Amino acid sequence: MIRIEKQRQTPKRATFYTIIIAACIAFSVGGLIFACLGVNPLTAYGAMFKGVFGSFNSFSEVLVKATPLTFTGLAVVVAGVMMLWNIGAEGQLVWGGIFAAGTALFLFPTAPAFVLIPLAIVASAVGGTLWALIPGALKARFQVNEILTTLLLNYVAIIYMEHLFYGPWRDPAGYGFPGTAQLPEAAHLVRFLGSRIHLGFPLALFCAVVLYFLLNKSIWGYQVRVIGQEQRAAHYAGFNVNGKILTVMGLSGALAGMAGMAEVCGIHYRLQTGLAVGYGYDGIIVAWLAMLNPLAVPFVAILLGALFVGGEQLQTVLGLPSTIALILEAALLFGLFSGQAMVQYKIVFGGSGAQDGKGDD
Amino acid sequence: MIDDIIFIGQIAIKSSVAVLFATIGEIVTERGGVLNLGVEGMMLVGALAGFAAGTVSQNPFVAVAAGTLVGGLFSLIHAFFTIALRSNQVLCGLALTILGTGLANFLGRPLIGTAGVRIRPVDIPYLSDVPIVGEIFFHQSPFAYGAYILVPLVWYILFKTRTGLVLRAVGEDAASSDAAGVNVPLTRTLCIFTGGLFAGLAGTYLSLSYTPGWKESMSGGQGWIAIAMVIFCTWNPLRAFWGAMLFGGLTALQFFFQATSMDSIPSYVLKMMPYLLTIAVLVVVTASSKYRKAASPADLGIPFIRER
Amino acid sequence: MSAPVIALKGITKYFGPVVANHDVDFSFHSGRVHALLGENGAGKSTLMSILAGRYAADFGSVVVKGEEVNFSSPASALEHGIGMVYQRFMLIESMTIAENISLAAFKNIRQSDTHQIIIETCRRYGLSVDPEKYVYELSMGERQRVEIIKLLLLDADVLIFDEPTAVLTPPEIDSFFEVIDKLRSDNKAIVFITHKLEEVLTLADDISIMRKGRLVLSTRVDKQQISKQQLARLMVGRDVVLRVDKEILPPGDAILSVTDFSGDSVHGGTSFRDITFDVRRGEIFSIIGVAGNGQSALVATLTGLSKARSGEVCYLGESYSTEAWKKNRKLGMAYVPEDRHHTGCVGSMSIADNFALTRLSAYSTGFGGLTLDRERMIADGERAVEDFSIKAESSADTAGSLSGGNLQKMILARELAKKPQLFIAEQPTQGLDISATEDIWQALLACRKEAGILLVTGDLKEVLSLSDRIAVMFNGRILEIIDAKDVEGVGRVGLLMAGVQC
Repeated sequence: MIRIEKQRQTPKRATFYTIIIAACIAFSVGGLIFACLGVNPLTAYGAMFKGVFGSFNSFSEVLVKATPLTFTGLAVVVAGVMMLWNIGAEGQLVWGGIFAAGTALFLFPTAPAFVLIPLAIVASAVGGTLWALIPGALKARFQVNEILTTLLLNYVAIIYMEHLFYGPWRDPAGYGFPGTAQLPEAAHLVRFLGSRIHLGFPLALFCAVVLYFLLNKSIWGYQVRVIGQEQRAAHYAGFNVNGKILTVMGLSGALAGMAGMAEVCGIHYRLQTGLAVGYGYDGIIVAWLAMLNPLAVPFVAILLGALFVGGEQLQTVLGLPSTIALILEAALLFGLFSGQAMVQYKIVFGGSGAQDGKGDD
Repeated sequence: MIDDIIFIGQIAIKSSVAVLFATIGEIVTERGGVLNLGVEGMMLVGALAGFAAGTVSQNPFVAVAAGTLVGGLFSLIHAFFTIALRSNQVLCGLALTILGTGLANFLGRPLIGTAGVRIRPVDIPYLSDVPIVGEIFFHQSPFAYGAYILVPLVWYILFKTRTGLVLRAVGEDAASSDAAGVNVPLTRTLCIFTGGLFAGLAGTYLSLSYTPGWKESMSGGQGWIAIAMVIFCTWNPLRAFWGAMLFGGLTALQFFFQATSMDSIPSYVLKMMPYLLTIAVLVVVTASSKYRKAASPADLGIPFIRER
Repeated sequence: MSAPVIALKGITKYFGPVVANHDVDFSFHSGRVHALLGENGAGKSTLMSILAGRYAADFGSVVVKGEEVNFSSPASALEHGIGMVYQRFMLIESMTIAENISLAAFKNIRQSDTHQIIIETCRRYGLSVDPEKYVYELSMGERQRVEIIKLLLLDADVLIFDEPTAVLTPPEIDSFFEVIDKLRSDNKAIVFITHKLEEVLTLADDISIMRKGRLVLSTRVDKQQISKQQLARLMVGRDVVLRVDKEILPPGDAILSVTDFSGDSVHGGTSFRDITFDVRRGEIFSIIGVAGNGQSALVATLTGLSKARSGEVCYLGESYSTEAWKKNRKLGMAYVPEDRHHTGCVGSMSIADNFALTRLSAYSTGFGGLTLDRERMIADGERAVEDFSIKAESSADTAGSLSGGNLQKMILARELAKKPQLFIAEQPTQGLDISATEDIWQALLACRKEAGILLVTGDLKEVLSLSDRIAVMFNGRILEIIDAKDVEGVGRVGLLMAGVQC
């Protein structure tokens, strides 16, 4: 007799199996879609793989995409550890970009790089923080659902940014091109190895490490984790829950804001339409695929970046729409759900299994 | 002046129909206790399916039926993961939106720029001759007339029938409903499916009537507006009608100011209004606990687990 | 006697590694009231939930009127006429009585007719409810009545009650007994789960006793032959319940005194009024009362989780206004909360992590005290596992994996590590087995040597074993403070708990 039985305890190495299951499901789904379109899945995946790892130049683009994804992923992680949903990383990213661009274009256009770049980084963090504190304060003061407020504020931020570069901030010498003037040279983040990888990437990695220590070693992080796991225990222990909502949302906004700075000062060198392309939403996927572990975030961000670059390659090589990357992204997440559900069960051969206390993985 | 009002009114209704359908659907889903943030994805999938079916069959009825049904079927992914596997509803809804967007844009690529069936506005005899009101409300696409019927119908079913009682009970207190002999997982699945049908219908309206044709990401965030609208109207379909009208009215005003080159209110302020207003309503609804208690389904977003 | 209406045969049920029911045979008859007795955790509720279709048994069968059945849900149990009134009433708060009843009972009846039917049924059983009222407006007794009406309208002929009197006031209990009598004369089969011996002897025709998941006795009541003592012995499994050797300590200085303390309820419970008492070093001061008489609100205020409306607190020689008391960091105060699983600990975190929950400042180190000294947390956790013989592999085990008794010992160890001046323990042994109870009592008695202990409980046995002074709380007030040496006074505690002053 074979039957499926619920595990009594989450098995060791559950995380490992979950990831394997998630990847298998995602790639099977993708393969199925390719097959339906009459494309050999191996050819398609081969093209994607070659497009990503074929040359340093293409792989460097993965790291370029992974930079904002790491920042927004970390932003969602901080909030997620406290069981807050920051769906608003997109809007906070936009405000980070606005603040960084404003600092470089209007406040200190003539400052040297070693002054201007730190200023732009701080400004972007402040911009993101302020924007994230709106839903934070509404949550702390009135218990307003942050999922919806953060989400709605994304639209407001994007509309305001568009207003800026279509209107008052538009480049007077831009022949009507929607965007600001180019940022002064001093505000451009240094690039490495002849590629578009820029200072934002090591900065993002640094933030991941700092966040890991903050969440796992500090008293603040301990309190945040307790609030996320068991709010009643936090009240019992006398933690200031509302205060933590504000600091967590503020920090989350700062991280997302820096993603905006990285894009504006590292890639576009101006404020323009390409800034809000959904990195904020992808950050949610990154965070949960990383299972809210800050150190795993850069790796997942690179994986997702590879999917995006691979998708673009698929378009150039095989003429398939690049949005296959979105499908694979979603399939990864659904795979994660399936994996999480599946590791809670085990297959039992014969007997009742109720007496054996060991339980296998 | 009167012409302006009629112009604005007509466009207001035109631009609110999709949001209205999607909102009604999400109200049913949330009244049953499930949050589905996948509305945007379901709308896009429905829009593509409706358009594709119309192109193949050249029959508007087939097109509408296909778009609606595909929206519903797509929503069953959410049902499977949130109800059978008890996955996180917020994440699962997001994944559904990403999947729907990716799938629709991927599969719809060959259809961009092709002409399919169109569903054109139809005048209702006599009613459309009523000055102002008739001209605004009855010079519309058949979809709008469908909405005029579906809004009160859904309201009636939710609040005046046994079906509605069961549905609301499941959203308020799943454990008690279960003890009363209600099949909670089935009821919730049907609520999600209904939400999907409505989202699919909303998408079909976009690709067959509002802006006929298939364009990438053509719902342009209307699915998210619908989710916010559900709170704006405190889970009540009748209020959803006015909420959607308000949203449509603000959109129409933008067109009007653009057309007349007036800028007494900057267009970006008008564009932000629906979002800002929704946040304001959200705060008011949440802050007044009495209102909230009466409005929000108490078990919204909480998975139902009966240990066996 | 006729054939039983229901027979449960060889029921076994596991929850993970825990055996909740072990090979239980249980049967009962129409027109009789059957009491199912047992301590907390004896498996009574599980057994009845299996009968009501809420849980599925791992082994064994259910026979209804001679026919073997298999319930997949409460709905299928109801189809066979079996209904259960749970301890937590299964009513939807934001809906009216009529809506709640028609949700369950009137599948094919027009809504307009429901009111009439409800009112008629009420009249038949001498119950009174207004179908238009919302459930959140109702008292606990009224809610119970709605549940009973619901089952009657579903044509249930087997009614199961899980601790039906636990949340009722004494007058409500009386009218509940009357309803049970009517149901019995209407030839319904009634099972009620309880651990109150008095109720059993007044109400029951048959008695079954469960202990540690097994049925240890099933008999007809013969009021002359069975005594409370015998029942108690069968329930607990040994002769003398518990004996605590308590040394006499000279009363010390007052550590906590509250004067004219009044405050509002938390989460819709009872408020408390005009509370005055003090807790002295070297004594265990007990507040006893039936759950829901204002104790939880009082404790929440004393521990600073909520603010009192009026009154004054004096703690370690300092006086505080209600405002100042809420804000004051209560150094030297330890608190074991009633809900040990979700308030006293974080289940998903390790024992070591949980050791820092209420003692963060004790572990702060590095970067100006901003980080946690994990090594010391682990060391303290390991020591507690050893000293309190907590059954865990190491301090890395999650708190959620501990059994109730071991979890409570962990919380106790953490709170004692504060070296408290005042120790507040709220229902510290509720639902624990005998040996864990004994360990916790011993720890409290040992702590008494250096500190004052405020014990808040509903367990008379516990109070009589431990206390130096006993305050009885009823309906938000302290009715009387009795010295434990006053034999005549202690005899009145039970009556006082029911609100009877004499």
